[in-house]
Amino acid sequence: MFRYIAQRLAQAAVIVAIVAAITFALIHLAPGDPFSATMENPNVSEAVRQTLRAQYGFDRPLPEQFVKYVNALAHGELGWSFSHERSVREVLATALPNTLLLMVVALVGSFALGIVIALVQVGRRGSATDHALSGVSLLFISMPDFWLALLTLLTFAYWLPLFPVGGAYDVMSEYWGFGHRVLDRLWHLALPALTLTALASAAVARYQRAALLDVLPADYIRTARLKGLTERQILRRHALRNALLPIITMIGLSFPALLTGTFFVEKIFSWPGMGYAVVTAIGTRDYQLVMGGVIIGSIMVTFGSLLADLLYALADPRLRR
Amino acid sequence: MPWQTQDFAGNSAPMRLRESPLGLAVRRVLRKRSSRVAFFVLGVILLVGLLAPLIAPYDPAAQPDIVFGKSLPPSFAHPFGTDLYSRDVLSRVIYGARLSLMIGVLATIVSLTFGVAYGAVAGYAGGALDTVMMRVLDAFLSIPRLLLLIGVLVAWPDFSIGALVLFLGLTGWFGLSRIVRGQVLALKHAEFVTAAQALGASRRRILWRHLLPNLVSPIVVAATLGVAHVIVLEAGLSYIGIGVPPPLASWGNIIQEGADQVATLWWMSLFPGLFMVLTVMTLNILAEALSEAHARR
Repeated sequence: MFRYIAQRLAQAAVIVAIVAAITFALIHLAPGDPFSATMENPNVSEAVRQTLRAQYGFDRPLPEQFVKYVNALAHGELGWSFSHERSVREVLATALPNTLLLMVVALVGSFALGIVIALVQVGRRGSATDHALSGVSLLFISMPDFWLALLTLLTFAYWLPLFPVGGAYDVMSEYWGFGHRVLDRLWHLALPALTLTALASAAVARYQRAALLDVLPADYIRTARLKGLTERQILRRHALRNALLPIITMIGLSFPALLTGTFFVEKIFSWPGMGYAVVTAIGTRDYQLVMGGVIIGSIMVTFGSLLADLLYALADPRLRR
Repeated sequence: MPWQTQDFAGNSAPMRLRESPLGLAVRRVLRKRSSRVAFFVLGVILLVGLLAPLIAPYDPAAQPDIVFGKSLPPSFAHPFGTDLYSRDVLSRVIYGARLSLMIGVLATIVSLTFGVAYGAVAGYAGGALDTVMMRVLDAFLSIPRLLLLIGVLVAWPDFSIGALVLFLGLTGWFGLSRIVRGQVLALKHAEFVTAAQALGASRRRILWRHLLPNLVSPIVVAATLGVAHVIVLEAGLSYIGIGVPPPLASWGNIIQEGADQVATLWWMSLFPGLFMVLTVMTLNILAEALSEAHARR
């Protein structure tokens, strides 16, 4: 068990190192550098650019730059955001809790909803309900995140003005009591979280349905049936428990899609998270902020899958040695 | 010399020993009603894209009346409405089909080439090379594709559609190459490979003639899903402003131009999106049916 954890941790470290190398390569393979790209202003003279390059170390040989880059990354230094006039680390640190809140709510919501849908489907396998729900999940996994977000915004914020158009809290919320603030927060969270949940739960439902159908022919299911248990008991107590193991892997796998989803959803609902910061930075060509987001996003995904693997090892008694 | 059969007229033709695995899979897929419908719908969308200049009622770039003709809701003259510059949205969606599908297919061809080559080399070589290649792949896989593309596309300020296709293709082969590598690894000690080796076949011949034909089904499934994926990705990139540059029309592009005023210009988001969902859904249905047909073999 400990050997497995150690191995898996080492593997994650190697992946993060390669990710750093890839992002470094991305920055340096591109024509020009952040200063020629972001400062196309003709009033900025070449001399100023040279000074800036020297200040940021862009005039040094590549291997030296790489060592510095890795060193800075290890210390959490991600550069300077021109558009926010703050360090990238600060910008992302203020944005990240909002993104994490959105992701956790969507993750929990989509797995709960997805598993329930799968249970309903497998309980009535082959019925019209099963087919209809399969069709609906197929529809949702075929939808681009940003399109569903736009339609949700249009329907529930404009046509039926039930929810706010965007933002994370009301401008007046500072003056409100704690309970009121929490409600306000949830009210703003509703639409972005709902959009992400709808998208992710479709994938979970499809996966979980297949996993449940996989365990149904097993001997212990037949035994349970022979004991005289109802179909409901068999599904919930015997099939679901065994079919839940692969779902842990699914959590790790769904992380990249969920993170990508937050980028669009945050942009459309003006949810002040990392995705919103990065997508806005693309518009303002705030290159270092964009790259900082890319690096942090990749590290989050790496650790998400690491966490899923460790959870799996904990949950599966066969791996617990 | 291959076996020959003769018909009554005495013409000989090479005997068909067995149907190709892909042909068999396609026939099985088309036996299902849902996949026949999907096939038909996809065919119609493809035709719309191919025949765009003949079908589109207006020039997609024409701005006939920028004062009174802009931002019109759907009507008989403009079934999908007009955009901010008075361009006909239906015509733009039709031309968008052309561009989005073309980008999807071309990028997927790039992905297939790289994915198959990388996976086959890693699986066939094995050993330390395989380990290193797989670790690099793990790293690429742990950068979400959208983030990788954002990193690349923001770094290259003005890129052409060709470059966009290339980048989309180059970021899409990681998953496929892992499948290919696994299959090659599983098959490389199979008896038919050993037999070919014993007969003196070169490595290249074994790879091309004996290993790859066994991988056609998973590759076709991956390609079908790949096209769907690229279409959604391209739209997403266009939506955040680093995809297909205006004034060209792609589905994502049209949505992007109306997104800031979605409350008043809802038709610019709704219709291109519907086309996109329809395309992606048919591709998903076909991919699923194909992999089912393959699994049943």
